Amino acid sequence: MSAGAAARYHTGVAFGRAALRLQRLRSEIRPARSPSEHLGPPLRLAPRTKELVARHWLEGRYANPHRKVAWVTSGAPVELLKALGFYVVYPENHAAICGTARVAVSIASEAEARGYSRDLCSYARTDLGAAFSGKTPVGRLPRPDLLLACTNICQTVLFWYRVLAEHFGAPLLLIDTPFVYYDVAPPHAIDYVRRQLEDAVPLAERIAGRRLVDADLRRVARLSKQASELWMEVMQRNRHRPAPISAIDQFIQMAPIVEMRGDAVTVDFYADLLREVDERIRDGVAAVRLERHRLLWDNLPIWYRLRYLGETLGAQGVVLAASTYTNAWGELAPLIDPDQPLESAARTYLYPILNRSTGHKLKTMLAMAQDYALDGVILHSDRSCKPYSMGQMDQRDRLIREHGLPALLLEADHNDTRCFNEEQASSRLAAFLEMLEARP
Amino acid sequence: MPLAGIGGIPTRSEVIRAHKSAGGGIAAVFPIHSPRALLRAFGLLPVEVWGPPHVDVSHGAAHLQPYVCSIVRNALSFVLAGGLDVADVLVVPHACDSLQGLGSILIDFVRPRQTVLPFYPPRGTRPSDFDYLTAELRALYTRLQAVTGLTPSGETLRDGITREEDADRVLTLLHDLRRGLGLNSAEFYTLARSREYLPAEVFSAIARQALERPPVPAPSGLPVLLSGIVPEPAGVLEAFDRIGATIVADDFACSGRRLYPPGRDPDPFRRMAEGLLGGPPDPTRGSPIAERLRRLIALSRRSGARGVIFYTLKFCEPELFDLPSLRGGLQRAGLPTTSVEVDLSEGLPEQVQTRLEAFLEMIA
Ligand code: SF4
Ligand code: SF4
Repeated sequence: MSAGAAARYHTGVAFGRAALRLQRLRSEIRPARSPSEHLGPPLRLAPRTKELVARHWLEGRYANPHRKVAWVTSGAPVELLKALGFYVVYPENHAAICGTARVAVSIASEAEARGYSRDLCSYARTDLGAAFSGKTPVGRLPRPDLLLACTNICQTVLFWYRVLAEHFGAPLLLIDTPFVYYDVAPPHAIDYVRRQLEDAVPLAERIAGRRLVDADLRRVARLSKQASELWMEVMQRNRHRPAPISAIDQFIQMAPIVEMRGDAVTVDFYADLLREVDERIRDGVAAVRLERHRLLWDNLPIWYRLRYLGETLGAQGVVLAASTYTNAWGELAPLIDPDQPLESAARTYLYPILNRSTGHKLKTMLAMAQDYALDGVILHSDRSCKPYSMGQMDQRDRLIREHGLPALLLEADHNDTRCFNEEQASSRLAAFLEMLEARP
Repeated sequence: MPLAGIGGIPTRSEVIRAHKSAGGGIAAVFPIHSPRALLRAFGLLPVEVWGPPHVDVSHGAAHLQPYVCSIVRNALSFVLAGGLDVADVLVVPHACDSLQGLGSILIDFVRPRQTVLPFYPPRGTRPSDFDYLTAELRALYTRLQAVTGLTPSGETLRDGITREEDADRVLTLLHDLRRGLGLNSAEFYTLARSREYLPAEVFSAIARQALERPPVPAPSGLPVLLSGIVPEPAGVLEAFDRIGATIVADDFACSGRRLYPPGRDPDPFRRMAEGLLGGPPDPTRGSPIAERLRRLIALSRRSGARGVIFYTLKFCEPELFDLPSLRGGLQRAGLPTTSVEVDLSEGLPEQVQTRLEAFLEMIA
C-alpha cells in the first residue's frame, strides 16, 4: 500500500466529507417541505441520512488501492469482513440508488448489450452494467479484492457473483445457506454454515493482510445487533396510530442498516431516528395526515415510483405502516450473540425471510397485520425477484379467504421501469383503495 | 419406442405400472440432482419430471406468476392435473429460486396427497460441502424411513449404489460413443433419457445392447454441441436432424451434466455424496464459469463439434447468467455459438428453426 494512495484516500475523503457536511447544513437550515398536502413533514433526519450514505460511497471512490474492498450480497455475514477492516460495497444498494435516481435502465442496458437477458434480476443487471461500463451515480465504484455471496436471499446472487468473479478475477467466497422449508433449520445445515464461516476466515485474513482479532469481531457483532434492534424499534413505533414513519420513508432510512451494519455511526444514527420518531408521536405528527387505512407492503419497493406510491396512497388516507422487506433487517437482531459471533451468525444468516418457506412468509404477514393493526396487504409481484414473489398468489388468496384481509397483487419490477405499466398499476390500486374504503 | 437393433425401451407408464404391480412405489423426482440409489433402497423407483412439455399450464397459473420458467410451471400444472397421482412421494431437489419456490408452494399451499421431500444439494465441492451433503442424504434417509416404514441396510444401499454407478458408467459410454451408435438424435435421447425412469439395471442392459452393436459410420450432419436444460419440446430433435445437424455432444442439465463418476468411499452416504459432487460443472452446483467453459471447449474438441448451440429455457437464470461469458469464451477459442430461447409448452417456434438453419449455414 503506497503512501501516495493513503494520502489520496485521506485527502479525497476529508474534502468530500466537508462538502457533504456543508450540503447537509444547508438542507437543515432550509428544511424540505412535505411533497404533498396529504403527507406529514419529511423526517428532520433526512439530510443526515443522505450525508451518511453519500459518505459511505465517497470512501469507496478513493478506496482502491488504499483499503481492501469486498463486494457483498445484502444478506452476507459482513461482520467478519468489517472486523478485518474491509471497505464493503453492497451492489444491491448501489443498484437501488440507481433505481431511485432513475438511471438503472440506462446502466442495466450496458449489461443487456453484452448479452445479459432482460429476464435476469434487475439488481444484477444494474450492477453488471455498472461493473462493465463504470457508469454510476455515486462517482466511482471501487474494484473488489474479494467477493462474498451468501445464498440466504436467493440463488441469483450465486450466479451473478460468479460473473463478477470472472470479470474482476477476484476470489469468490461463498456462504451457502440451505433453504429452510420447515419451521427450523436442521442441525446439519447450521453446522454447515458455521463451518463455512470458520473456513472463510483464512482467505479473508490473507486478502486483508491481517489476523482476525476476536475482540474486533465481537465489537462489530455487538454494533450490528444494536443497530438492528434500534431499527426494529423505529419500525415498531408504527404500532402507534397514526403511524409516524411510513414504509416509504423506511425504504430510504434502511440504507445504513444494510450497507453500514457493524459501524458505530449506524448505531448513533438509528438512536437519533428513534428519538425523532418518538418526538413525532409526542407531537402528533403522522406520516399521512388523515390516516384512515393502514397497509402492509410485501417485497422490495418499486424504487423509481416511491414518491408516486406515497402520494397516491396518502391522498386516500392510506399509510404503508409496515413492510416485510424493512422488517427483515430488524427481525433477526435477537439471534445475534456478540459473545459467540460466528456460532450465532450461522443461525442468524440462515433465517432471513427470503431463506424461509412461503408458508413462513404468510405467517409473518399475518403476525405483522395483527401487530400493526393493518387493514390490508399490497403484494408487489416483482418480476425480478422470484424468491420473494413465488408463493404470493397463494399468500394473497389465503389472506383474503381465510383471514378476511384485503390483498392486492401489484405487478412491477423493483428497478426496471420498462416492466411497470403505470396505467394498469394505477387502476388496480384505485380499485383496491375503493374497495378498502367501502369496507365497514 | 423400438430402436433399430435395440430391444424395445419400455415407456414411462409401462415401467410405472410394472413396478407398482410388483409392489414397488414411485418417487416422482423433479430436476436436477438427486440420490437415485437412496430412493431405490426404499423400494421407490425414481421417475423424473422435466416439465413435462404437454400439459395444461392453466393449472399452474393459479399459483405461479408468468415470469416463472416452464419447467416449474409445467411441473406444478402436472401435479395439479393429477399427472403424478401414481407417485407415492414427490422429491423436489433445490437448484434455483424457481425450484425452491415450487418445493415450498407444494409443501405449504398445494399440499398434495403424497409426502413432499425437499433436498438441498450444496453449491460447491469443498470439504464442508461434502460433509453437509452426506448429512443431508442421511436426513433424507430418515424421512424416507418415516414415510415408508422401511429401514434398508447398508448392504442394500451399497447394492443400489453399485447398480446406479454401473448405469452412470454405461450412460457416459453412450455419450462418448454416440456418433458410432447408428442412432439419430431423437433415438439417442430416447435411449439416454430412459435413464430418467428405468430401473438402473434395466437401463444398463438396454444401453449395453446399443453399445455392443458393431459401430457404424458417423452420421453426415454438421456436428454441433448443445447446451441447456432439456431437449424439449417434442420435435426439437427431429428438427435438428431435418436441418442437417448432428448433436455430437451435450451439456444438458438432464443429460450430459449428470454423468456422475463412481464414488470410492465405503460409507454409502459419503459415496453417494462423492458421486453427486463429482459430476460435470453445473451452475446450479456453484461451479465457476471458467470450469464450464473449459469443459465445453474440451467436449467440442473431443466430439468434433463445429459450433455450440445454447438452447435455453425462458426465465432460466442459472443458464442466462452464464451465457455471455460462455459464448465469449467459446468464440475466443474459435468455436462459433448461437443461442435460442424456448418455452416447453410452445412447440419449436418457426423463427428458432430459421435461426438454427442460419447458424448451420454459417458454420458449414
Ligand atoms: S432482488 Fe431478489 S433475485 Fe435480485 S438479488 Fe435481491 S433477492 Fe436476489
Ligand atoms: S429451467 Fe432453469 S430456472 Fe427453471 S427449474 Fe430448471 S434450472 Fe431452474
